[in-house]
Amino acid sequence: MNFRRTLYVGRWLLALSAMACLKAMAEEPKPKPENTVHVEVSEAVKPQTFTRGLKFFVADVTDRSGNAQPMLVYRPRGGIFLDRAPAEIMREGLTTCLKTADALAADRESADFVLTIYLFHFGLSDSSGMDFFGKVEFAAVVKNPRTGKSQQVSASGTSIAGVAVLKKNIQKNVLENINKAFVDALRNLLRGEKLRNAVGTLDVPAEPKTPPAAEKPAMQE
Amino acid sequence: MGEIRMAILVAVLGLGLPGFAKDPEPQFKSVEAKHFTKSEGVELSPEFTDYLYAELRAELTKAKLFGQVIGEGEVVDAADAPASIVIEGGITEYKKGSVVKDALIGFSAGWRSLKVETTVKRRSDQKVIVSPQIRVRASPRWKDKVLAKQAAQQIVKEIKKALKEGGAAT
Repeated sequence: MNFRRTLYVGRWLLALSAMACLKAMAEEPKPKPENTVHVEVSEAVKPQTFTRGLKFFVADVTDRSGNAQPMLVYRPRGGIFLDRAPAEIMREGLTTCLKTADALAADRESADFVLTIYLFHFGLSDSSGMDFFGKVEFAAVVKNPRTGKSQQVSASGTSIAGVAVLKKNIQKNVLENINKAFVDALRNLLRGEKLRNAVGTLDVPAEPKTPPAAEKPAMQE
Repeated sequence: MGEIRMAILVAVLGLGLPGFAKDPEPQFKSVEAKHFTKSEGVELSPEFTDYLYAELRAELTKAKLFGQVIGEGEVVDAADAPASIVIEGGITEYKKGSVVKDALIGFSAGWRSLKVETTVKRRSDQKVIVSPQIRVRASPRWKDKVLAKQAAQQIVKEIKKALKEGGAAT
């Protein structure tokens, strides 16, 4: 008798949990054209000028944020998605800025420095609840391909935007906020003292290869 | 009759013209805000200092005292350095507060508090223009980042006040 009652209650619990799961799945935001935003560099950042015209090549952009859904930037109210992966947006933005200033190398071989980007954060971050807090954080490994030496330069960009009530305005504010933070981060890298110092340290001519030492004549007895 | 019309016209123009006036010229070419440091024993997350930095920059932009609000560690032209300032600071004290006290006693008992020491320097000669000490409080039922927002607003208010009094740009 007792076993039957337990089984009955168990069935009800199972049904309820299945319903909750279905509801949760239905509420999970999905990317649609109306909730997808296009982030891009609105105005290219002019990099700082170096003593000689240097060319950079963007080798790899790796997403190290550990975010399972990197394209979902805002979860409530049906969600807001990016149209491309953050790594792709970063590569495009950085390439555009370098190209505008004629500092982009055509390939790895012709570059004075090779940049490898590790992206740590791209999108919104936790705020006070009274505004949106946009944050873009990454590190660039600057490598001199001739010497093989490299240095890491970190950069970050932030932006604060007001909250909104209407979904349309939320989407507009979130897009503006991420755009501003992205441009700010690019400016922080390209116009930063850290990049200048790194380039200054690494921009040395490759050491001439020493010829292999001549074999010593065998010792005469 | 004609005099009354003329008087009305003068009054309308007098009231309307200030609306067309340009924003005042920024007092400084650029301002750089740095991430605030945390003293030993201050239990706040690194995200808090990030948020404080972002809020400070947002408030500095709103203040319209500076031509450009640059990011931390950005290069400034040597010519612009005398008319540029740098804001540094540290969080010296943070009290978590108590939700129980806030709920039972009220009247701001058990509120969170934050103490920030700030230094505003001229970029060219590192001369200290002003060094306000800020103390802000908020309910423990709100997020701790509300304190950052209040602190940023307070810092900018103090800087504005000091610059108005001292005319430090010269």
